Amino acid sequence: MSGLLPTISSLARQLSEGSVSSRELVEDAIARTEQINPTLNTVISLDKEGALAAAGRADQARADGATSPLLGVPMLHKDIFCTQGVRTSCASKMLADFIPPYNATVVNKLHDAGMVSLGKCNMDEFAMGSSNETSFFGAVKNPWDVTRVPGGSSGGSAAAVAAGLVPMATGTDTGGSIRQPAALCGITGLKPTYGRVSRYGMIAFASSMDQAGPMARTAEDCALVLNAMAGHDLLDSTCADLPVPDYAATLERGIEGLRVGIPKEFFSSHLNAAVAKTVTTAIKELEAAGATIVDVSLPSTDLGVSTYYVIAPAEASANLSRYDGVRYGYRCDSPTDLQDLYLRSRTEGFGEEVKRRILIGTFTLSAASYDQYFMKAQQVRRLIAEEYQSVLKDVDVIAGPSAPNTAFVLNDDSKSVTDMYMEDVFTIGANLAGLPAISVPAGLVDGLPVGMQLIGPRFGEAELLNIAHQFQRRTDWHSLTPNLEGLTG
Amino acid sequence: MTDAATVRDVAALARLAISDQDIENATAEFNQTLALFDALGTTDTTDVAPMINPLDAAQRLRTDQIETLVDRAGLMQNAPASEEDYFLVPRVLD
Repeated sequence: MSGLLPTISSLARQLSEGSVSSRELVEDAIARTEQINPTLNTVISLDKEGALAAAGRADQARADGATSPLLGVPMLHKDIFCTQGVRTSCASKMLADFIPPYNATVVNKLHDAGMVSLGKCNMDEFAMGSSNETSFFGAVKNPWDVTRVPGGSSGGSAAAVAAGLVPMATGTDTGGSIRQPAALCGITGLKPTYGRVSRYGMIAFASSMDQAGPMARTAEDCALVLNAMAGHDLLDSTCADLPVPDYAATLERGIEGLRVGIPKEFFSSHLNAAVAKTVTTAIKELEAAGATIVDVSLPSTDLGVSTYYVIAPAEASANLSRYDGVRYGYRCDSPTDLQDLYLRSRTEGFGEEVKRRILIGTFTLSAASYDQYFMKAQQVRRLIAEEYQSVLKDVDVIAGPSAPNTAFVLNDDSKSVTDMYMEDVFTIGANLAGLPAISVPAGLVDGLPVGMQLIGPRFGEAELLNIAHQFQRRTDWHSLTPNLEGLTG
Repeated sequence: MTDAATVRDVAALARLAISDQDIENATAEFNQTLALFDALGTTDTTDVAPMINPLDAAQRLRTDQIETLVDRAGLMQNAPASEEDYFLVPRVLD
């Protein structure tokens, strides 16, 4: 393990004291990215010119009296967020040359808060994957062991933060795509409540579950970023019209008397024994801090995987029907007629996992299968959501593992398609129920990070962030970093 | 079990092509995924309303007022083929 990597909080202090400028931080981040990225493949669009110009503006704003904990701090966006003038590919051949004419709301909000975007992070194609191996631009490597995956789909974001390229990167989470890579890369990742953060300009995968969130080293940093990301947006009709609390201002509350529910189904046969032991130890730390541990049950946990893999591909098949080679995106060479244009543009432009999910989604939405699969899954979704709500009436928060295993090896042929889907078994429930959830570093198994997941009630982000912060005050797992010396090219 | 012909029909609906070489594997994976859904069929959902939105929120409507978020030139810049303000596609009518 090497030395401490900077957090947003520590950089904000240095910027405020004047001991470093935003330009210096951004130059350092660019140099670090150019040095490490050839090994990790975390960044697929580096906007050096734009970042340096933004850093200059941030330094000038500070000189003019502006203050903000995010002002001048470098960051990266998952390549699913539209960035005006900067390629937004969703890690797909389909959008490999797409330059958005507008910004996602999340991009605008973080820009307005003064953050400096260095560019775009690699990801699973259209956010479909749990290993970051489905990217058109090649797999991301886990900085803790470059023979292993970083998780997915926000694997590039997680690896970039873990390797210290930037203190924060944005991610999105449809079935665990912030929490699972955060766990596998040893960082902190928050999936907010559905509707807490605008989805405008976030390329759609499964619209009833997609949600953006921060990926950073600490819960405190996630709170600072969520303050800027969250809030009502007229451009997203599913974005909640609720006030945004100051998440960073409520991080110093003790957790004495907090009731923490441990679902027995989260410690089932799916869970690696060493991961189980590590997460159990982390939960005991919450107990030592004054929390009361309560056994609870979420009997439909396994059913969540079936439900999710009906609903998400169905929504994806509808969302991805827009890619037809006509208005933007990849177009095949010399189409003979309109049908040929559609067929070959889509067949050549999408990768294998995306096509697999479009096929399943098209099937479950077809007239003959709709009731058996799609409607049934929507009904089961309600049962699952009600299970969570019922448990959360009795406890303040649910705790368990973020992922069943530590980072697995790249190109693992022994894993079937459905084995890969089971990687999401503990994270999917929060998406189906629309609940906020956070993954925090909880220990190491054979030198690889393990994440503990905390799931809260709707719009309970402040409570989750406080519990995570209290845990991080008592432990130092979030401070551990991989051996970065071996990563330089 | 779904056969290769059905998988091909579904692919055609989705405007995707599956080669002869890939159809066997695609069908096997398709069935493997469908098997994952078997558990849904054994779950009693009598009188359970489908959950379309996780917050059970109704779609909010905006005022019926024209707003220009992105100009036409901005939208056209990514068109694979265009002429003036139009997207070009292969001839549809002879």
